[in-house]
Amino acid sequence: MDLNLIKPMRDDYTDYLRDESRAIGQADSISFPKNENEVASILKTLYAQGTPITVQGARTGLAAGAVPRGGHILNLSKMDHIKGIRQSADGHFHITVEAGTILSQLRKRIEQKKFDTADWTPESQQSLEAFKDEPALFFSPDPTESSATIGGMVACNASGARSYLYGPTRDHISGLRVVLHDGQIAALKRGDYKASGRTLRFPTLQGNQITVDLPTYTMPRTKNASGYYIEDQLDAVDLFIGSDGTLGIVTEAELRLQSLPQTIWGITCFFSEEAAALDFVISARDTMNQLASMEYFDGHALDILRYQKKHNPGFSKLPILPDHVNTAIYVELHCQEEIDALEGLKTIGQLLEKAGADSKDTWVARNESDRDRLLFFRHAVPESVNMLIDQRKKTNPVITKLGTDMSVPDQHLKQIMAMYHRMLAERNLESAIWGHVGNNHLHVNILPRDDEDYKKGKALYDEWAAEVTRLGGAVSAEHGVGKLKAKYLEVMYGREAIEEMARLKQYFDPKGLLGAGNLFEPVKGEVSE
Amino acid sequence: MKIAVCIKQVPSTNEVHMDPVTNTIIRDGKQSVTNPFDTYALEQAVQIKDQLGGEVIALSMGIPATERLLRDATSRGADRSLLLSDRSFAGADTLATSYTLSLGIRVLGGVDLILCGKMAVDGDTAQIGPELAEQLGLPHVTDVLAIDAIDEQNILCRKATDNGYQRLKVKLPALLTVVKDLNMPRMSSLPGILYSLDSPFESRTAADLSADPARIGLNGSPTQVVRTYVPQRIREAIVLEGDDSQLADDLLNIYSEVI
Repeated sequence: MDLNLIKPMRDDYTDYLRDESRAIGQADSISFPKNENEVASILKTLYAQGTPITVQGARTGLAAGAVPRGGHILNLSKMDHIKGIRQSADGHFHITVEAGTILSQLRKRIEQKKFDTADWTPESQQSLEAFKDEPALFFSPDPTESSATIGGMVACNASGARSYLYGPTRDHISGLRVVLHDGQIAALKRGDYKASGRTLRFPTLQGNQITVDLPTYTMPRTKNASGYYIEDQLDAVDLFIGSDGTLGIVTEAELRLQSLPQTIWGITCFFSEEAAALDFVISARDTMNQLASMEYFDGHALDILRYQKKHNPGFSKLPILPDHVNTAIYVELHCQEEIDALEGLKTIGQLLEKAGADSKDTWVARNESDRDRLLFFRHAVPESVNMLIDQRKKTNPVITKLGTDMSVPDQHLKQIMAMYHRMLAERNLESAIWGHVGNNHLHVNILPRDDEDYKKGKALYDEWAAEVTRLGGAVSAEHGVGKLKAKYLEVMYGREAIEEMARLKQYFDPKGLLGAGNLFEPVKGEVSE
Repeated sequence: MKIAVCIKQVPSTNEVHMDPVTNTIIRDGKQSVTNPFDTYALEQAVQIKDQLGGEVIALSMGIPATERLLRDATSRGADRSLLLSDRSFAGADTLATSYTLSLGIRVLGGVDLILCGKMAVDGDTAQIGPELAEQLGLPHVTDVLAIDAIDEQNILCRKATDNGYQRLKVKLPALLTVVKDLNMPRMSSLPGILYSLDSPFESRTAADLSADPARIGLNGSPTQVVRTYVPQRIREAIVLEGDDSQLADDLLNIYSEVI
């Protein structure tokens, strides 16, 4: 192996010790491999030495999955080639990208249908010609950070607003290449290797057969990105999606594209009463099938935006919020024809009136520039909250945002919202709630003012994890478990399931070095902080 | 108060296609948007209407597909719209366009106030507003960044200058062109969109307007575009990789090629 690949940590690498979760770790060395062979040789060498290895993409994760706990940082950001395109028998186009490919750049390429094809096979180049003749296609997962890498999105099974209609990243991955701890490589196509019951077999390119017994637990029937994805007849591809870099290193993914709806309209609906907003969500969910997303913002989130618009020039572009409203729901209509979107809009008007809201309190975006304004509004919420926390951090460095990522089944939406509001009020905690209400998946953000608040917030988080579990929900619905939510994984699945997960991990990672600290709480005597 | 707002459809991207013969922009209606400066003019008109009562009329000269943008204006507070559309208007420069728009204002039976964006983002001339005012014999103020007071007779506004602003009082009827700091254009509301579908919309041809054929379209345009071209990008960024000595060698090679 080229020894220069592994570089000792230096001051100018300190950014690589943290991610968007704002957790900070430590490491002894770092590498930026440029291809799969380099990944395999680094892994083989370091694994044999017993060095923990944390894989990184763009470090936009919110659960500290990419924050190293000692050992080596395997940063895949230099592996960002789009390697080819193929058309499957069912007519779908699949695009193969290296794990470090940035989502926003990939989107641009797909939209412009322009690729660097120098290294592409003749078959790929031929498929590209067919792709160019096709109406617009897209890769639907849309996490807030479009600077995320595809590898990172695979690692945590990322979602986004549009996952309400299109599903999470998992639903759009048709193949993976994974480097295993000993440097062997598995090239997995969806459908090729499925578990028989709970026993999964798949080959490596080196000619070995992997046979592994899968855990026996059942996953909740709700939006979920917590722990290993397990089901009967599990597809080998699915085992690695959402595994947080703990089973192997995903170096390449094949993404299945779908046709981009010709008409996309965004509508922000405002309410003076939250109850009306939830009634609207429930009736829209039951009756409309062209909604791609349903997003919620509570009164505190709106107040924070009002404040920012007034005091921060960077937010002056925000449209003016009506004074009398305290809840907003953003929905997005995806239709082929404008006439269908118009019908959808009329239905939304009727549902708003039925819920007791005023349809005048709406912002409808039918073109790019209006959609950008609504997007700016939605992104301004988390950004404003982060700024507020950073401000408080200056006087008290202990303070950090406590953000939840829990989901519950449909029938519990009102109950869970009432619980959040009641408990936050009881503890006198400042908060802002927003998120994917269509999936009953809200991000409750506790905004501590002092140490006391921070402690109270953490305790509340624990209570919610237990309650969400009781309701059949998930402790992480899209951010992944990473390190920050590891203790809730046990709350959600129970000790026995965690032990099964640990056995599964041990098969793929006998020394417990891959993604150390992710999914599993450190046990005494193991590598820990 | 009767207010007309001039609206132009412009390409939504920078990738415009030029007609190789006439050297004018090919407007096919696809992906076209309202000229951003005009959206501030519209918002201001609607705010004045909210304050004083009256009506707002969106006016444009353009291809039939411009109806979509005019109806969009009615979803944001305009009451009705008038489109001046005729093949013989094609290829108009600012003089021919402002003449045609002045005929539109006359069809409306005159108005108290005309608001225009300060310029269109495709042509960048900033001439239509002043020329239209001259065609109609109205006073005008360009680059208005604030309206301090308005009643049925007068308007007190601030005109942006290089060093600040001038405060000007103008007798109505008058024409103002506006800059983007003037206001925050509203979004369409759901009832606004439903209204816009059936909002009063009229279209007029050159014959309807009794336009002088020598003053419209290419014939009425003293401006002749000799050549247009897309500038070639000649700057390029390359990323060098390797160890320090390799990088130094590469840099040296590049410098020696340039020098």
